[in-house]
Amino acid sequence: MQGQVVINNLSKTYRTKHRKGLFKSEEKLVEALKGISFEIQPGEIFGLLGPNGAGKTTLIKCLTTLLIPTSGEAIINGYRLTKDDNAIRASTGCMLMGERGLYWKLTGRENLVFFGALYHLSSKDRVKRAESIIERLHLGDIADRAVESYSSGQRMKLAFAKALINDAPLLILDEPTNTLDVPSARELRAIVRELNDEGKTVIYTTHIMSEAETLCNRVAIVDRGEVLALGTVDELKASMGKEEVIRIEGVISSKAASAVESLVGVKRSASAAVNGHQQLTVVVEDQRALLPRLIESLTTHHAVIQKITPEEMTLEDVFIARTGRTLAEDTRVK
Amino acid sequence: MGKPTFSQNFSAAVAETRLRLINISRYPGQLAMEIIIPIIFASMPMLLGRATAGDNASANFAANTGTTNYVAFLLIGSNVFTLVSNAFWHIANWLRFEQETGTLESIYLTPTPSIVIASGVAIYSVGRGLISALLAYFIGCLIFQVNPIQGDVLLALLFIFFGLLPLYGMAMLFGALVLKVKESNALIQLMQWVVSFLMGIFYPVAVLPPLVRVVAYLFPPTWMVNGVRSSLLGVGFFFGQWYLDMAVLWAFMLAAPLFGYWVFTRVESNVKRNEGMGEF
Amino acid sequence: MISQTSIFTFIDTVLVMARKELTIMIRYPVEFVASFIQVFIIVTVLTLAGMMFSPDGVRASSGVSNTAGLVVYGFILFLFISDVLWTIGYNVRRDQKQGTLEQLYLSPASKFANLLSRVVVTLVWTGLLSITSSWIMSSMIGGLPMNNVPLAIGILLLGLCGTIGTGFAFAAITLKIREAANTLANLIQFAFMLLCAPFFPFSGLPDWIRNISRLIPTSYTVDAFRSTLMGYPKGFPELAPIEVEIAIVAAFGILMPLIGYWMYRRQENIARTDGSLSEY
Repeated sequence: MQGQVVINNLSKTYRTKHRKGLFKSEEKLVEALKGISFEIQPGEIFGLLGPNGAGKTTLIKCLTTLLIPTSGEAIINGYRLTKDDNAIRASTGCMLMGERGLYWKLTGRENLVFFGALYHLSSKDRVKRAESIIERLHLGDIADRAVESYSSGQRMKLAFAKALINDAPLLILDEPTNTLDVPSARELRAIVRELNDEGKTVIYTTHIMSEAETLCNRVAIVDRGEVLALGTVDELKASMGKEEVIRIEGVISSKAASAVESLVGVKRSASAAVNGHQQLTVVVEDQRALLPRLIESLTTHHAVIQKITPEEMTLEDVFIARTGRTLAEDTRVK
Repeated sequence: MGKPTFSQNFSAAVAETRLRLINISRYPGQLAMEIIIPIIFASMPMLLGRATAGDNASANFAANTGTTNYVAFLLIGSNVFTLVSNAFWHIANWLRFEQETGTLESIYLTPTPSIVIASGVAIYSVGRGLISALLAYFIGCLIFQVNPIQGDVLLALLFIFFGLLPLYGMAMLFGALVLKVKESNALIQLMQWVVSFLMGIFYPVAVLPPLVRVVAYLFPPTWMVNGVRSSLLGVGFFFGQWYLDMAVLWAFMLAAPLFGYWVFTRVESNVKRNEGMGEF
Repeated sequence: MISQTSIFTFIDTVLVMARKELTIMIRYPVEFVASFIQVFIIVTVLTLAGMMFSPDGVRASSGVSNTAGLVVYGFILFLFISDVLWTIGYNVRRDQKQGTLEQLYLSPASKFANLLSRVVVTLVWTGLLSITSSWIMSSMIGGLPMNNVPLAIGILLLGLCGTIGTGFAFAAITLKIREAANTLANLIQFAFMLLCAPFFPFSGLPDWIRNISRLIPTSYTVDAFRSTLMGYPKGFPELAPIEVEIAIVAAFGILMPLIGYWMYRRQENIARTDGSLSEY
């Protein structure tokens, strides 16, 4: 069965200007997408996981016709990208750019009704649809206030509501839980699951690994414009083969981290600052065998170990294994 | 960690001036416009007057204003208006500027008082306004072939100098209004045109109805523009002597900045107590 | 629920967008009121300035005055040009900053409807401002001549079409140059004030500037419109015979909207290629 979204060798290259002094500048080419290909089946929640600058938003913007790709093709809901753009827009609900994209002087309800009109809903339907979305997302208390008075989280919720206005078969959500508090984020994910149960296909981008793991049927791990891995969460974890993860928190110098990397049995490691501590994530063949040597190596190099946790493989570990970096790093090209 | 010292505050003010200069250097077109616009604006009544009055233009103008040199009269008006405009847009709007650039809360988190930052903005504004106004005046006189340096130039400069402080005090007052009303662009545009009308940008305030004239005399720019015109063109000081008009400007100089600052800080703390500066 | 577009949905989209623009306009009450008052003040300032060249000074003249016609009718066109630049062209910038421009591009709504809705708002709003400000000016400087009204209205409508096309072109430029469009809009406005002579006869301009005016279609709109209403007194129209001027205005009115819209769609595609649609 052909996918609801079929992407074939999609590429996007930007030209950027770098200032060199007051009057001179240099043009550079940035490959934001490098020949991406995959399919999304109807009824999936498909995750795009990757750090900032990986190319997720660029890909989303290409699929939603905001960006014209440099090369390649895509078919969305049976319509060809760059040829049937209006039909793609009409058949897709999108939440991009977070809380921007709302009219500040209009109320939440007025915003929804207005955007309903842009999706060519009849005047009766757009009012009815706005009301049902307001009810579903519990926006009743704020719907008749101007958006400029909303908090950041409330604007995000309204932006999500706007994505539902045209009841499209495909929903594209770019980091929808950004700036939401924990209960609101949980509520939004629950609604996404409900919408999926109702038959909607969802493309869901995030850099939060746990979201991708709990919500998505399949995940594509994206980094520097390429799809590094694609599959169900279990498939991706299993793809690491006989690999296990040890996480160490403490005061760990780069010398100590390098010493760990050079131990026999250590496949890969990556360092990140988390909650004010250094966190070293080490991918190994056998946790039990390697743990004592790991501790010895760290203490020999004067590392202070505050916490050491042998863990189950996560998607972030898959990412680290493939790239040697964490999801927390900003990989935008400098 | 006590109150900031004078040199610390001064350094902060200079840093703000520098920030604004860096910002405007990225928009050289805007600076060029500031020189071109007053010339074009002044040329419109000039061209209409010449076309309709023909050879009688100078004589008719002298009968209504006290000088045949309508070019200088109109250019002085439009360039003093540049100074007024700059004061309004930079001082009355400076908080809005900070909010739009997303730096308002960051500023209020620092120990530097807002008046110090406003002072830095004022230094930048005065510098930019004076350079634009003087350049526009000279270029305008060159285009229309009149002598820009006639009459008592030093006295004219003194009127400008002593008129600036009360002008900025008045701008602080409008800044307080902008804090409360929040629609800064529309309000500032309206206020600058109201002031242009009251100060007699292109005509003597004597042509205004009596009640309106009284209101006009309450605005420092009215005394500033008339002082410059009287010094250079001899149109006549309001009180007959330059030192009497200058005394009024000094009185404004004492009262206007203090009053403007007092109103601004009261409104500022009111905003902080209610909706908070971040919601500004 | 994938909807089909038709002429009815297109009209519905235009009306919904126009309603949205008006709603937003009304929710900036200070801006709403200020724009009215500002126009009156500018009109009064320029009128008083012009009156300084009259032997009667500010004493209002009675009876129909060609000078009144010259200035008032030129002012009407000035209002439309300015408003078209700002509400059609520059408002694209406001949408860019808010992020709502991208939202528009996510929907299947017609982009032409978006531009057209702003035209509807401009015509209604500016029309009201024109009528009320004309009444003020004529009460100050003399009654308005009213000859050949149907022809004049035809010229006005054609001229407006051309102006609106200019607005579309300016919207395209705004997409490209972003914040610098502010400066450009000011420059165009002031260039128009000088080169298209809305407030004074073209005879007031030096020959070389008048030759530049002859290259701008809007100059012919100004000249033909007011000359027609003034009943073609001696020397009017000033740039070319009336038949030639009407032909130029007609060509401008038909071609410019097409050119402007083409420019807008082209720039839009460029923005979608280089990713600048969301940049602000």
